[in-house]
Amino acid sequence: MLHAKIIDIKEKKLSIVEAENFISSYDYGASIFFTGTVRNQNENKSVIGITYDSHDALVINSFQEIYNEADQKLNIKDKSVYIEHAKGYLNLGEISIIIAVACKHRDQAYVLSRYIIEEIKKRSPIWKKEHYQNNDSAWLKGNPIINEKN
Amino acid sequence: MKIKIELFGASRDFSNQDLLEFDVNSHSTIKDIRKKLLNYLDINFNGNENFKKIVNSSAFCSENNNIISDNYKITKNEKIAIIPPIGGG
Repeated sequence: MLHAKIIDIKEKKLSIVEAENFISSYDYGASIFFTGTVRNQNENKSVIGITYDSHDALVINSFQEIYNEADQKLNIKDKSVYIEHAKGYLNLGEISIIIAVACKHRDQAYVLSRYIIEEIKKRSPIWKKEHYQNNDSAWLKGNPIINEKN
Repeated sequence: MKIKIELFGASRDFSNQDLLEFDVNSHSTIKDIRKKLLNYLDINFNGNENFKKIVNSSAFCSENNNIISDNYKITKNEKIAIIPPIGGG
């Protein structure tokens, strides 16, 4: 079971409670909640906020692919996964991503949670523009996307 | 034919709008679109090298949300997206 969504931060904030409501089930004995938040330093610069941009359709496709791969690559078939990513301007401490997973056992839950965030970093078209204390701002460099199809 | 290029991430700095529009010949490829973009940057941003790097390291995405190669042919008025190097989370 997968919930995958991009949230426009002007409309609502990401919610751990909503994630918990989605994944919680008597079928599962282990849950992991991962959140990414805006921190105040990057490469010796004082960060005051981040603007997130997203190609929504490609991002949702990538979340779906990553979820499906967990069946084959990790052999974790029985699972509940909640992924939300924010877009728009976030202040320090605000949540940019929630990955909540529930599995039968803790080993699976830890592996799955880590797999999802690492794959999102590599494959999901999401961009960050940092805003600094000196009123400057910069898009972070990132890595070229890899899954090219004709 | 007209092609619209939707801007994302660092490429948003190429314009105040969300997209750029170019006239292209029928059967132009993504490789040709890349050249058009580089030419646009030469004219409008004095060949800004950082912007050109972004174009050269970007992928492109079709209207039906597939990542497309440099050989992909434009056969109709189409909206594609430029996908600069990524790094969310």
